[in-house]
Amino acid sequence: MAKPVENSTASAQAKTVIEGRDVGKTFGGGAVIALEGANFTVAEGSFVSLVGPSGCGKSTLLRLIAGLIDRTSGSLTVHGRDITGPHTDVGMMFQRATLLEWRTAIENVLLPIEIQRSVTSADKARAAELLAMVGLKDFAFSFPSQLSGGMQQRVALARLLQTGADILLMDEPFGALDEFTRERLNLELMRIVSEVGATTLFVTHNILEAIFLADEVMVMTPRPGRLARMVHVPFARPRTPELTLTPEFNALVAEVRDILGTH
Amino acid sequence: MHNDQNRMFWILRAAPHLLLLAAILAAWEGAVATGLITTIMIPRPSAIGGAIVELYVTKGTIYEHFFITLTEAVVGFGIGAAVAIALAVSSSLSENFGRYVSPYAVVLNVTPGIALTPIIIAWFGYGMGSKIALAAVICFFPIFVNTLTGLRQTDEDREELFRSFGASQRQVFMQLRVPAALPLMFAGLKIGLTTALIGAVVAEFAQATAGVGVLMSRFSFSLNMASSLATLLSMTLIGLLLFYTMEFLDDRIVFWRREARMAAVSRARARAWKSGAAH
Amino acid sequence: MTDNVKATSQPKTGQMVIHFTIFLALILSWELGAQMGWLDKLFFPAPSAILTSFWRIYVSQGNIWFHLYISLGLVFAGFTAGSILGVGLGAVVGMNATVRRFLQPYVIVLEATPRIAVAPLLIAALGFGATSKIAIIMLVCFFAPFINTLSGVINVDRDRFELMRSLGASKIQVLRKLVLPEAVPVIMAGERLALTSALSGVLVAEFIQRDQGIGTLILTYTRNLNMASAFACIFTLTLIGFLIFKGMERLDHRIAYWKNEAGLRRVGAKRARAWAAEQGGLARA
Ligand SMILES: Nc1ncnc2c1ncn2[C@@H]1O[C@H](COP(=O)(O)OP(=O)(O)O)[C@@H](O)[C@H]1O
Ligand SMILES: [Mg+2]
Repeated sequence: MAKPVENSTASAQAKTVIEGRDVGKTFGGGAVIALEGANFTVAEGSFVSLVGPSGCGKSTLLRLIAGLIDRTSGSLTVHGRDITGPHTDVGMMFQRATLLEWRTAIENVLLPIEIQRSVTSADKARAAELLAMVGLKDFAFSFPSQLSGGMQQRVALARLLQTGADILLMDEPFGALDEFTRERLNLELMRIVSEVGATTLFVTHNILEAIFLADEVMVMTPRPGRLARMVHVPFARPRTPELTLTPEFNALVAEVRDILGTH
Repeated sequence: MHNDQNRMFWILRAAPHLLLLAAILAAWEGAVATGLITTIMIPRPSAIGGAIVELYVTKGTIYEHFFITLTEAVVGFGIGAAVAIALAVSSSLSENFGRYVSPYAVVLNVTPGIALTPIIIAWFGYGMGSKIALAAVICFFPIFVNTLTGLRQTDEDREELFRSFGASQRQVFMQLRVPAALPLMFAGLKIGLTTALIGAVVAEFAQATAGVGVLMSRFSFSLNMASSLATLLSMTLIGLLLFYTMEFLDDRIVFWRREARMAAVSRARARAWKSGAAH
Repeated sequence: MTDNVKATSQPKTGQMVIHFTIFLALILSWELGAQMGWLDKLFFPAPSAILTSFWRIYVSQGNIWFHLYISLGLVFAGFTAGSILGVGLGAVVGMNATVRRFLQPYVIVLEATPRIAVAPLLIAALGFGATSKIAIIMLVCFFAPFINTLSGVINVDRDRFELMRSLGASKIQVLRKLVLPEAVPVIMAGERLALTSALSGVLVAEFIQRDQGIGTLILTYTRNLNMASAFACIFTLTLIGFLIFKGMERLDHRIAYWKNEAGLRRVGAKRARAWAAEQGGLARA
């Protein structure tokens, strides 16, 4: 099953892949400040959770990193390159699976390739492999509406991996699922991400989930959206659900709660 | 044997309906025969049956008119739909075009298209041309508005996803907007097809030499109610024919909206994939 | 459905200027075409001729008023009768599964038949005059409210239905307090369609009967090749259609007030006042 990650993420020598300096974003000509003065770095291969209440700019930050919207101040680089527009270093996943309901699961997984070039048999093999990886080997030719919500998100995850992007931006990907499904998917996500060795930014409302999954937790506070603090999560991998019962884990939960509450 | 079971099932399901129908017809027949109903408005079912046999079987008068009306409705629908879809696509692609065309579309919508009947007949003559024109005019709007609404639906997340893949405007349009608009477009096409038939028939009432509308007025005004009702049946048949043709296309093209079709397409794609992999 | 064609935000002045310019250019080229003889004046009257006709039929001759009065009266009568019948039957049929099952085949057949095609039959059976016209309008008005009420009633939210049952509500109470209010927006959509069909229905009835009313007027003008007056009548119908459209929209907003922001605020404030007055009254008593 899960192999321990060899690039121990918090290690000082890990390369920085995303770097933000005083990143700010306003909407409506300055009327809405969505994000202000965000300073952060994300190390290669690390798993970073973003927590914070609704409207604190989490989605905005992800969209800035994806180049889908332009920042209004500061500097933001991915692999040392300035972000000026949409780029394929990142792949995205949303709370809704955003699958195309007229395509089968595997055709959905192949969509990012089709957009860029013609599909080869190697791509097809890779798509089948990814579907197997997310546990949908037997559902490759099902249409999205024939799949449950959790399975749809698995397809979305496979599609995200098919992009070949080494940075995964996930905006509350399992937020609409029931507790059991979400827990299972979280565990699988950890396994898959370490298997492909991608850098992950994972937005969630759930503090426990944020800490459980992450190497670093970015705690954000609203009005205006600010990055309050980075909290380092020291626990070894692979992690099991029992971790959430330990005093160390709960001390970290209390710390994050505290930051969110006192700001 | 599986099929036999199916057939039994259908017979069992249809039986009460047929019984009810038979009972109604018998009561009706009896009421007319015993003089309970005397108005000319209600001919006996047997008289209607006789008229149907005469029109559809022995003389076969109906067919010529049937095909004329069908052609008028279908050609009119084709023209109306082509213009409507072209304008809807242009309006969705260019905000300016849409903005400056929409007032005229609204005017066309609120004007009862039927009112144009006499004028269209004056313009296009007594033949099929005027029927086609009226059908095209009155089926335009439902198709236009549904297609445009469908194309303008935006799903922020999916558009962002496409952009994050580096998709061009054209790819977003062809692979996301158009398929997403198809269900609504087909709903509009179905309404339009019904409307086109109404246009053809009304134009025939007003002035024509052939078509089921003409036949209908002729029978009605010679107080031959049985034949008139038999003719009405042909309009129902045209309506059903058009509706189910559209339904069939809808089923094939917008397959992802139907459970059964989706399962079939899913199997077909799996097969195609496997045979492709074998090569 | 049609709401999407309208611009959602208030148009800017610059856009209004362009709208106006396009409109003017269209009218002027039409006028020019007619004046220069590029368009056959017999068939395509110039805008100026249509304007003159407007003046004539509304003012100097004033003959349209009578026909408008006749036609709109028939529309009102037929629409009211047809749509009340449609909603009533739709509710009854919707609440009763057995009736629904036996009616369904007939509904499918009726849905495919162009209802307006029955017009000659009804005229022949009921004779010339207002009765057959109203019958035609009723017939074309009946269907949309019927189908929409029916589907509104059938598609009532299951959980809410069960909630009502658990509260011990009777069938009538469920209908009055849950089913009909929930179906109101759909029913209103049916009524809109019905009123539009009513206008078409009266025109067809008048085209066939050729005695009086706006349809007869259009037919007569066209026969006499007085196209300008025929167009003036049609633009009158455009205006009526527009007023109907707007009127129904407002009615819809008032009746289904919980579906729009302004309605929620209006009714909310009203109920708060009523409540306060009642409480005040109780306090004083
Ligand atoms: N396109 C936009 N236009 C105007 N305001 C926006 C837009 N996108 C986001 N905002 C505002 O920016 C703030 C942060 O939004 P978002 O990043 O979506 O928050 P989160 O994902 O943390 O819930 C919110 O106040 C939101 O209303
Ligand atoms: Mg968000």
